[in-house]
Amino acid sequence: MKVLAAGVVPLLLVLHWKHGAGSPLPITPDNATCATRHPCHSNLMDQIRNQLVQLNSSANALFILYYTAQGEPFPSNLDKLCRPDVTDFPPFHANGKEKARLVELYRIIAYLGASLGNITRDQKVLNPNALSLHSKLNATSDTMRGLLSNVLCHLCSKYHVANVDVAYGPDTSNKDVFQKKKLGCQLLGKYKQVIAVVAQAFQTGDLEAYSDPRS
Amino acid sequence: MALFAFFQTILLLVSLSLRTCQSEVLSEPLPLTPESLDVSINSAQRCLHLQWRVHSLAYHQELKMVFQIEISRINTSNVIWVDYYSTTVKWNQVLHWSWESELPLECATHFVRIRSRVDDARVPEPRFWSNWSSWKEVNEQNSLGHKASSVFPVDKLVEEGSNVTICYISRSHQNNVSCYLDGVRMHVEQLDPNVSAFHVNNVAFVRETGTNIFCEMDPKDDAGTVLFVSKVLEEPKDFSCETQDFKTLHCTWDPGSDTSLVRKQPYQSYTLFESFSGEKRLCEHKNWCDWQIAQDSQEMYNFTLVAENYLRKRSVNILFNLTHRVRPMTPKVFFKNISATNATMTWRVHSTGNHRTLLCQIELHGEGKVIQQHNASIKVNGEYLLSELEPDTQYMARVHCGDANHFWKWSEWSGENFTTLEAAPSEAPDVWRDVKSELGNRTVTLFWKPLSKSHANGKIRFYNVIVENLDKPSELEPVPIPAPANHTKLALDQCSYRIHVTANNSVGTSPASVIVISGDPGNQVEEERVNVTADGFSLSWKPQSGDVTGYVVEWCDRPQDGSCDLQWENLGPNTTSTVISSDAFRPGVRYNFRIYGISTKRIAYLLEQKTGYSQELAPLVNPQVVMSNLTSHSFTLSWKDYPTETQRSFIRGYHVYLKPKEGQCHPGFEKAALSDNSVCCKYKIDKPEQKTFVVENLQPESIYEFFVTPFTSVGEGPLDAFTKVTTPDEHSHLLIRIILPTVFCVVLIMIVCYLNSQWMKEKCYPDIPDPYKSSVLSLIKSKENPHLTIMSVKDCIPDAIEVINKPEGSKIQFSGTRNSLTETEITKPAYLYLLPAEKNYSGPGPCICFENFTYNQAASNSGSCGHVPVPPTAPSQRGLLTSLENLLKALEKNYMNSQGEIPAGETTLNYVSQLASPMSGDKDSLPTDPPVPALCSEYKMQMAIPLGLASPPLSENSSVSSVTLLDQGDHHH
Repeated sequence: MKVLAAGVVPLLLVLHWKHGAGSPLPITPDNATCATRHPCHSNLMDQIRNQLVQLNSSANALFILYYTAQGEPFPSNLDKLCRPDVTDFPPFHANGKEKARLVELYRIIAYLGASLGNITRDQKVLNPNALSLHSKLNATSDTMRGLLSNVLCHLCSKYHVANVDVAYGPDTSNKDVFQKKKLGCQLLGKYKQVIAVVAQAFQTGDLEAYSDPRS
Repeated sequence: MALFAFFQTILLLVSLSLRTCQSEVLSEPLPLTPESLDVSINSAQRCLHLQWRVHSLAYHQELKMVFQIEISRINTSNVIWVDYYSTTVKWNQVLHWSWESELPLECATHFVRIRSRVDDARVPEPRFWSNWSSWKEVNEQNSLGHKASSVFPVDKLVEEGSNVTICYISRSHQNNVSCYLDGVRMHVEQLDPNVSAFHVNNVAFVRETGTNIFCEMDPKDDAGTVLFVSKVLEEPKDFSCETQDFKTLHCTWDPGSDTSLVRKQPYQSYTLFESFSGEKRLCEHKNWCDWQIAQDSQEMYNFTLVAENYLRKRSVNILFNLTHRVRPMTPKVFFKNISATNATMTWRVHSTGNHRTLLCQIELHGEGKVIQQHNASIKVNGEYLLSELEPDTQYMARVHCGDANHFWKWSEWSGENFTTLEAAPSEAPDVWRDVKSELGNRTVTLFWKPLSKSHANGKIRFYNVIVENLDKPSELEPVPIPAPANHTKLALDQCSYRIHVTANNSVGTSPASVIVISGDPGNQVEEERVNVTADGFSLSWKPQSGDVTGYVVEWCDRPQDGSCDLQWENLGPNTTSTVISSDAFRPGVRYNFRIYGISTKRIAYLLEQKTGYSQELAPLVNPQVVMSNLTSHSFTLSWKDYPTETQRSFIRGYHVYLKPKEGQCHPGFEKAALSDNSVCCKYKIDKPEQKTFVVENLQPESIYEFFVTPFTSVGEGPLDAFTKVTTPDEHSHLLIRIILPTVFCVVLIMIVCYLNSQWMKEKCYPDIPDPYKSSVLSLIKSKENPHLTIMSVKDCIPDAIEVINKPEGSKIQFSGTRNSLTETEITKPAYLYLLPAEKNYSGPGPCICFENFTYNQAASNSGSCGHVPVPPTAPSQRGLLTSLENLLKALEKNYMNSQGEIPAGETTLNYVSQLASPMSGDKDSLPTDPPVPALCSEYKMQMAIPLGLASPPLSENSSVSSVTLLDQGDHHH
């Protein structure tokens, strides 16, 4: 029962995060046992890689759709209003080991997923008629959710990592409208930048992983 | 009561004494300084709220005072507002005053101070201001929080057209601040080192999601806000209320602009307030609201409609009597008794209370237009007879009603479609005919136009055609032709016929249209040209006297493609002109119009025939020109006429273009420039019927180029290639006069020679005589063996013939032969040896064949029919005949012998010459000389008959084959 409380509950919390959950999840004790609800798929890395490619291919379109929907001055001041200055964004080391990269990927996707939830919520209020933006945001969130599940499953099955402590972005619910727009734009700019690096890292890193899967 | 009066007097005295005392005190400056000044901020409203007291006032004292308030911004010396506030101050009263700042209060620190002065008439002048209160600082800058910079106001809601001041504050000193409103840079004013501001006058609505404002500065810092600009709330328009059932009042209005902003301001609300009842109702819809009518028979209503949003309120008011706001309910419509021309419309209006009198309007629509309009006054049920309707026609009738006593509004229209019944067609079909005669029979095509809807009175099912022979009365049988056919063909003989055509629908038959086809083929009239106007072809004709009942003009709409599409137009008897126009008319197409008069017997006879073009076009082709009669000085050009159908305009003549040898044009020609800018000579032929032209005055042995093109009123034909012609030499005709007769004579001679070839043959190269006809045979037959027969070839055993060459240089000379032969040197004379091919020959006798020595090599070589000597094959057999000379002698002897008796048993050869004299058949004229070999004579088979095997002499008429039997392998000709 302790195992369940220590391992599965945080996992469920991660998988069913809510918008604006601000603080990091509690760290799993070192002796926690990894357990998944369903057996992981055999070609998880392929799925992860494909999901990353999918996210990377749609990130720029989402970014453009977003800043266009905000109106001027966003489209003409991307370098000021949408520069990817997200200070607390989780780091990613492309040259790291697969396990480390997967853990970092997990943190990034958890962070992005929460932030995308905030953006989606804000945009439904601020731009209720920007349906294509809403659709794109929802689709990206869905893919991220699947990716998060796959990464955790892979970490659990291959590296016996039951839990990863994650951090989330700032809650924008009490921000003013301009701040909401700006933070969303910055986050999506950062997302576009990071997802390209991550996708590339896992494309090339897989080759290394195949040669030395336990390294 | 006396006691009360006493106390009142005492009180008045005390009061006066106090007043006196007070007056003495007020004569000096009173210490009525405002105290306890407190300033609060309402940032959202950009308001400063001041409250203070005047403690120096006596208990229950009321004094009229004026307060002066000063407001400074950023620092106390920067006074931006001075205001005065007058009021009556009571003892211990808290005074309030508010001030609205145009600058957001977060943008700068404000300072407030206040002083007062008694402004009461009871206090004599001079009156002095109190001292100022101390400055009260008001600072909202802590709203910056831990941000580096901010723009204020935040997410402000303002009304379109208002003025707004925006400020940008930062922790660091500002330098080079730029601010943008929806991307448009604004003029920024720096208020202090940390604050800049700009004003937006008459702010515009951009979008319902707000207008972005963005400020940035060096060093790198920026901030923004969103300004929500709402449209101005309008006063509701066209506000009115009405009832249909006296139970509910239905109020409507035009709300005007939508002032809602996304998540900032909802759609404006509307509230109905009725003053007599005091009731209020919040409306759920933006442009209408229902109000339940009370049961207490309230007649008068005073409604106020209030529109409201976050920024303002607007209201309108109406006052009315309920009975004057009655709009009847929508009637329900029915139709009954629909006939071909009438229909009865009924309707019912549901209760509007107390059976009020209603005024109703009825409209009848046909083909989308109002064709009848009627009024009717009813209570509940209405009925109206619609008459003068067309049969088989769809109509739409509708009705609406209004209160007859206090008309307010018509009800909604209520209508239904209905169709009248069919009736028999009211008019005879318009019929015309086309008659074509062929081989004594006539093919009559009857055409008719479909009846108009107003005449058909229903759907035409078929047409009946009755053909009545006027010369041979017979039973009439109608021929039904199903609609929608518009023509039929009839094969008629040369009799006169009367044709009746009727149109039939489901109800009845139309009057008959009668047309008579006369047996008389009719007259031919000359074709005239027709005038064309902008309206069409203008036709006119001579009026016909007497029995003309009308005229018909007939033409083909599409003559160019052969389908004709016959059209006609009926005209009255007094009409002698008309203008024919059709959308089918095309430029460059010739249209023929025939004008018929219609007699009282309905016979059509051709009056005039006209032709013309709606628009003439230039010819597209030139005539095919043939050049003839070419002489050294002239030639003739001729061409044929065009088919009329292909002409695109009336040809008025021809132009003959001629490129002369030199620059000068011939007489009659004039210089002309062609479309390719070349210059040549042109001759104009004005008569279109002239199809030949003689080009004269040419020079011999010269090249001329000509070209013929028609010209019309709109131009001439296309510029084709010129045809070249070269005039001959002047004397060439003389040569022709000589050569032709000479050639004729030669040919004549040849023909004569050919016809007399038999004679020539007999004279020049007669046939080899027939041995059977030889006289030798007759002599043999008569004297010796009567059974003697001519040797058959198959019975003959050929022997080889050896020819022995004679030494070169020897000559053979035939006596009596021609010089050519006698002088010919025979280089290899041949000798013939008769070699028995079969020793045991059991035939009737030895048969020896030998070569005809009337031919020799020289002769062969000299003639076309060469005879090659046979090479010797059996030299041992020589001796039989040693030389040609001997042979000739023998031949000569034998021949001579043949003329006389031939001794029996003589073993010499009998030789029958193949070069028999033409008269060989005639023994009386046998030549005494040896036969002369003829040059180029044909080789003839010959025969040698051994006398030992004496055959009966050949009869004169016997048939003998002259055979030379040679070895087959060495046999040459």
